[in-house]
This record gives sequence, C-alpha cells and structure tokens, in this order.
Amino acid sequence: MNQHNPYLPQMATLVEVIEETPNIKTFRVVLDDEEKMQNFTFRPGQVGQLSVFGVGESTFVINSSPTRMDYLQFSVMRVGEVTTRLHQLRPGDKVGVRAPLGNGFPVEAMRGKNIVFIGGGIGMAPLRTLFIYMLDNRADFGDITLLYGARTPVDMTYKAELPEWLARSDVRTVLTVDAEYPGWEHRVGLIPNVLLDLAPSPENTVAVTCGPPIMIKFTLQALKKLGFEDDQIITTLEKRMKCGVGLCGRCNIGTKYVCVDGPVFTYAQLKELPSEL
Amino acid sequence: MERFLPAAQLTALADDLAGSCHVLAPVAHAGSVVFRWYRPGMRLEFSRMASTSPKAATFPQTEPLLVAQRHEEHKQPVIEATLPPQARTVVLGCRPCGARGKEIFGPVFLGVAHDPYFARRREDALFISLVCTRPETTCFCSSVGGGPADPTGSDVLLIPVQGGFVARSVTEAGAAFLQHALFEDVGARGAEADAVVTQAQAAMPPSHDFSSAPAKLLARFDDKEFWEQQSAKCISCGACTYMCPTCYCFNITDDDLGLISRRIRTWDNCMSYTFTLEASGHNPRPTKAHRLKNRVSHKFSYYPSIHNGVIACCGCGRCIKHCPAGVDIRAIVHAAQEYAQ
Amino acid sequence: MLQQLKDAITSRLPELDLVLGWEMGFDPFHATPLYIREAADVERLVVGPWAVHNLATYLPGLKGKKVGIVVKGCDSRSVIQLANEGLIRREDVTVFGLCCDGVVSHRKLREKLPADLGFVEEAQWQADVLRARVAGQEVSVRLSDVLADKCIACCYPNALGADVLVGSERTASPQPVACQESFEALSSAEKQAFWQETMARCIRCYACRNACPMCVCRDHCIATSRDPLWLGQENSPAENFMFQMIHVMHLAGRCTECGECERACPVDIPLLLLRRHMNRVTQDLFAYEAGTTVGQTPPLLTFQVEEAGINERGW
Repeated sequence: MNQHNPYLPQMATLVEVIEETPNIKTFRVVLDDEEKMQNFTFRPGQVGQLSVFGVGESTFVINSSPTRMDYLQFSVMRVGEVTTRLHQLRPGDKVGVRAPLGNGFPVEAMRGKNIVFIGGGIGMAPLRTLFIYMLDNRADFGDITLLYGARTPVDMTYKAELPEWLARSDVRTVLTVDAEYPGWEHRVGLIPNVLLDLAPSPENTVAVTCGPPIMIKFTLQALKKLGFEDDQIITTLEKRMKCGVGLCGRCNIGTKYVCVDGPVFTYAQLKELPSEL
Repeated sequence: MERFLPAAQLTALADDLAGSCHVLAPVAHAGSVVFRWYRPGMRLEFSRMASTSPKAATFPQTEPLLVAQRHEEHKQPVIEATLPPQARTVVLGCRPCGARGKEIFGPVFLGVAHDPYFARRREDALFISLVCTRPETTCFCSSVGGGPADPTGSDVLLIPVQGGFVARSVTEAGAAFLQHALFEDVGARGAEADAVVTQAQAAMPPSHDFSSAPAKLLARFDDKEFWEQQSAKCISCGACTYMCPTCYCFNITDDDLGLISRRIRTWDNCMSYTFTLEASGHNPRPTKAHRLKNRVSHKFSYYPSIHNGVIACCGCGRCIKHCPAGVDIRAIVHAAQEYAQ
Repeated sequence: MLQQLKDAITSRLPELDLVLGWEMGFDPFHATPLYIREAADVERLVVGPWAVHNLATYLPGLKGKKVGIVVKGCDSRSVIQLANEGLIRREDVTVFGLCCDGVVSHRKLREKLPADLGFVEEAQWQADVLRARVAGQEVSVRLSDVLADKCIACCYPNALGADVLVGSERTASPQPVACQESFEALSSAEKQAFWQETMARCIRCYACRNACPMCVCRDHCIATSRDPLWLGQENSPAENFMFQMIHVMHLAGRCTECGECERACPVDIPLLLLRRHMNRVTQDLFAYEAGTTVGQTPPLLTFQVEEAGINERGW
C-alpha cells in the first residue's frame, strides 16, 4: 500500500534568493527529484506550501509561470514564524514543497479577452504568474494592461523585471506609488484613482486584482464605476491554511474552502458567499 | 450472526483482546469515564456514557505525520511519513452515536484528498457498540439521522439483556469477531433483544426536524445581534469540539527536537481565536460570536449543503452536557429555524 | 431571597445594559448563565444550589458596558480581584451579592444517584433536600452531602463588596477539604505519579482556562503561541501538565479559589489541588488572600527588596 500522502512535501533546494523589499524576499526553488521537477505542472494562480522542517509550513502562490519551468518561484513577506525562518535561508538550503494546491485562474475562459491587472504591494505575486504566462502566450489574449502600485518605490517587488515590462510595446505597464518620492518617474496616486484615470474599457475585458483588503475594496468600487460586471472581476484570497487540501477546516467561507475551491474567485462568486473575509 | 456474551465475561473479553490488538474502551478513571487504551486491570464502565468520544480510534488527538531527520548538522534532512502501524483496533463499548461519528466526517478524509492516516486507522478498526436503552436529557441522535440502536458505523451491536449482551453482527468483520470463544450460543434471547431495541427507540424524545436549518442558519449569517445573543454565555473554550465525535478540524505544527523534527497533526478547535488568525494580524472570525456561528453553521448548514444533507452532528449531546456554561447547540439551531423574518 | 433579588435587579435594570444571573438550563439538574436585558428576563432568574457558574468570568469581555452581576461569596472575590488588577472598571459594575448556602458538585451528586445525571426526569429542592426522579427512581439527597469542596472550605459565604446584598447573612464554618489534605501528604514522587496518570486524560480543551475569571490572556495564551514557543501541541501528560503549571504560576496570588477550572473540566481533573496549594504558598509568604480586600495589589504585581515572608539568605 503506497498511496499518495497529501502531507508529504517534496524536498527542494533554494537556487536563488532575491531581496525585493526590506521585508519581502523571492525564493526560487528546484525540486530535488529531477523527474518530478520535469513533470511538474500547475496552473497560474495555484499555490504551494513551503516547509522549514522543525518550524512549520506556510502557503504562498507559485508566482513563476508554468511556461518557464527552470524553477518554482515564491515571494515571501516576513510576518510570522515560518516566514521569518524562510528569510534566513540562503541558496543551497533545503525546503519542503507541497504544490500545486488550489484552483488557479480560469485561463481558458480568459483567452481572446483584454486583461487588466491591478496589483498592490505583495498582491503583485499572484498576478505575476498570470502576467508572465500571458506574455509567453501573447497572441492568445487581447490588450493587456498592468497597473501595479506600492506605498513607496522601496516597497515595489520584481524591480529587476519592471524595466522589461515597461519597455514592451505589447503590454501597457503603469506603475504608481502613494506619494511623491525622490527619483520616482512614474505615477503618483492611490491605485483606485490611477485606475479611474486609466479608465480601461470593460468591453470584452477581465480585471484581475490582488492586494491588501483596503485596496481591493476601493479598486472594486472603481471597477464598478468603470462598468465592470461582477463576473468580469477576478481576485485571489488569502486565509490561514494548514492542510491545503480541504480537510483541516479553517479556511472556509461558508461551504467553500479557499484552499481547494480557491484561492481564485470572481467577484460574482464572492458575492454568493457569506461575508466572512 | 447473533451470539451471547455473559456480562461476567466482558472484562475477560477485553483482557483477551488487549493481548492481540489495541482496545479502546470506556474506562472509569478516578471518578470520570473516558475512552482509554485498555490494559488488563482497568475498570470498564458501560453504565455511563464516556465524557470523551471514541474518535481517537480513527483520528487520534495527536498524529505524527512525518519526521525530518538530519544525520549531521547542515546536511539535507531525510523526510519520512510516519503512518500508523497496521494493527487491529477494537473499540469496545462505544455508543451507536460514537460509532456513527466517524462515518459522518469519514467522506471528507476518504474523498479527493485521501488521508492515508485516517484511512489506515479506519480500515483497521472494529466498532463493537453498546445499544442505548434510555436517552439522557442531552441525547438527540434520532433527530440527526441516528438512533439508540443505529448500526451505521458499527461492526457489532451489543444489546443489553438479562445477564449480559446479545451481540449482533452488522458487518462481515463483525460476524468474524463473534467467533471469539467467549461468545456463547444466543439461545432464545433474540426476542428479548428485539424488545429492548424497540423499547429503546420508543423511549427517544420526539425527533426534531432540522431540514430547514441549512437555509435558516445562512439567512442569519449577517445578523450580528442574533449570534451575539446566542454566544453570550459561551466562554469560547474547546470542550465542545474536543468531546465531539464528528468534529475533525486539526492543526499541523512542527516540533523541533534538534537533528530530528516531527510534524504532528493535533485536534484543533474552531472556537479558538488563533484558529483563523492570519500572520498579518487579520482575523476573519475575531469574536466568539463569529466562531460559534461558524461552528453551528458548519454542522447544520455548510456540511449538509455539500454532503447530501448529512448533518455533521451525531446527537450524542456531549457538547451540551460538558459545556462549562450549558450552551445548547439544539437551542441555537432551533432559534435560527424559528426566527421570524 | 429570590424575590428580594429580582426586585433589586428590576429597580436597577433601567440604568444598566445587562445583568448577569442564572436561569434553569437544559435539564432540572443544571442552571445556565442568564443575560438579563429587559424586565421580562428577570422572571427566569434562579439562585441556589444549581447556580454553580462564576459569572465574573464574563466581566472582562463586557468592558465598556454597564453591567450588573449576581455573585455568590466566592464569585464576589473575583470581582474584587479583577477590579484590583484594573481588569474591569468597578464603577461600571453593579454587584448584587448573595448570602450563599453553597452549590452542588455535580460530580458528588452523580455518585448519589442510581444512574448518570443525564437520566434526570424531575428535580426539586425542598429546603436543603433535593427530591428527584432519575431513570424512573425516586431519590432524595441532602445538599450537605453533595456540596462542592469549595463550599465546605468556604470562609466568605456572604458576598464581599456588594452594592446590594440580599438574603440573611451566614456565619462561615470552614472545614478542611479531605482530598487536599491527602494530596498534600503524598511524597513528591507520589504526586508526580498522580499527575502523570491524571494528565493522561486531559484533552487540552482549555475549559479550565476559559472558565477562569482571572485568566485574561485568553486569545493570546502561551498554550497555542508559536512565538514565544513554550508548549508543543502534542497531547501528552508532560505537555498537559506543563500547561497546568504555567496556569497555576500565572494565577499565583491572583486565584480566588472559585473552583471554575475544576468544575469546567469535562474529564474531572482535580485542578483545585494545584490552585489551593499555590494559594497556601502565597498565604504563607505574603499573608495575602486574593479578592478579599478592595484596593489591594496582588503580591506578585509588586516588588519589595525585602519580602517579610521570604527568608532569602537563610539567616
């Protein structure tokens, strides 16, 4: 009897650690089992659990793209026990990986549509995977707009990639920070306000947004103002998770388990759920 | 298969079983009655329903999931799953509600995310249940799909009769169990056993119809005042969840023991503030009103909504009986059902 | 006494958000806490041997509200202690004190019955005798035979520091608690063995913690914290006992011996053995008894270079 054990992580090696902001690091990991790494598949938006043995496990979105499988990438904000220990790790160190978990973005349904990404702070992580996936399948999608904001330029993640994204002519990348900052050459203003200013058309468009709760709240209002319907707005949720496979019972919102039915939900789906975010 | 076990042979049966398998049985322990791993010399107690449930037979309070072992510092850890050893477990003297408990949450563990720990323990466990002859004030099994002689989840039903128990097999494994030498020919006791069962069923209070509960509870979701009133006397401890035969929420934590670390699964408690507390400090269920709402709604609304109407409660009444504040889950659901819109 | 109390509550209710009392619960052997919010609720109020709960436990969670509370003598100490420690604002609380004859130990009552408590069909107190029908059998039980241990040892039957005191005052006649004396007589090794065995049935449900009026960390308890990490989550006698030791130490000099920890325990662990022992220690060292004097600071919340009761140098 050698059944699949949903709690058993794969051993993986950190191949690169990128310091994104004072409290966010990006980890690139490779599964130690070469065959498993080669056969690893996932959908953009799915999540994984990273283990530091003796400390614990935490859930993060896989923010690399399934189109680029040299490594799996996770961005980690240092807020608790596991993330603090993760931040102490260096290339060559071992972690455990349980992935992929969750539902991912409805990529098929998004084909042929215009896409508006609206990301705030660490909320850019789940958008990055889909954004790169779309760049790598550029012909399958219509106009792509990326609006990414952070409190200050220092708090911006993926800084190394931003110049490339800004330079591309087949996507429109707009960056913003909350307040004027020395040397900042992009927009200044809160994300919902910049969004209203950009005024993307809701016509054949899907908006994908992720960020802190307050940003989501006002972004939704802005999107509604622009004429987006509830089923044209997609977001990803975060909840405290343990098992990641729908058993342990803490990430439910009514009958839905964020770890298996999510973390990706349309705003229309969220409205159907009890209000317990 | 139907056999007879003289009351005087009960301890002998437990003693004998304990020699070849794990026996989980209600045992008198300094004034309390709790399920314990039976060893000869312990005192079986069948006359009182145990405070704890037999849940531990399939879902122990602490289950090691894996160990990570480093043979020397800085070397890559070796990860090994710590599945329970394949071994027969006999639950002797649980009540039908307790045996049914694991059948209620079992589908979650044996579903899409197959849990090999639960699966192995379930496979190895035999439930020998004692039919109840009289309901307690907190019993409501017959309102949630069970009954005092309900066979669901049991392998053998022990029916108390004059001088002992008529043992009826429910499953093939149960029938095989009845081959044990301490069981005797049932003789003419079958009719007496039937009468006991009939009388037990008749003794149950009228069943309450919970079928409107899923929708009615959901309708109260945003009614803060309702839930604050219902939870006012709750002290937000975990006695209800830990006594419950159907509560299955768990925590996973690591114990660092130096070069070895263990990852363990332990029963967790949805009434605890930390259950849903996120690292950011945000908590979607910050008050006991939020948490009790989730607990009651999970059992009587969410669970039946996604599991073909099965209520995640076996009606054993332990949560009422052992609640330090006397919170009565029946009354809360009734209040939601009767709520005038 | 009950009518006197109801009248007092009714007259004070208009200026209060709620009053905490008791009503009969899920069966004739159990009362349950009652939140009196309007005059009609007063009718459900009961007092007497079933009123086991120490309602002071709810007070810290009701901060900011004007709360009335019905207290027995033991409960009144918790109110005083909470106020002394600044955990409640005494001016926000109206204390309706009782002169108490003692409450039932359900554990002791169970032993006097022909069947478990849950088989009760009817029950009624006639003076200090309980007449009940349990599993079809008539029984009568004297209150004095089923009194909670804390009532046997009670020094404060009349509520302390009450705004309204109802009933006629009782004279205390505290008796030693037999189980405490036999526990104290054990050797350290015997005590160790006793807890090893007893803690095997603890399920760490934290009913003891949450029922305790003085246990106010609650949501931030070290029992489940990972930072700091003092306790693993494994259920084992060692970890379970470690939690109890931490609990006892946090209550040193603060415990009012209301017995709620022990009463709340669903597996009947005699937790008061530890609490009473620690109270003896604080009594000996600091001549301090929690919750008996308004305005007093608990000894472990003060610092004195020389504690009169502690001979540091052994001279």
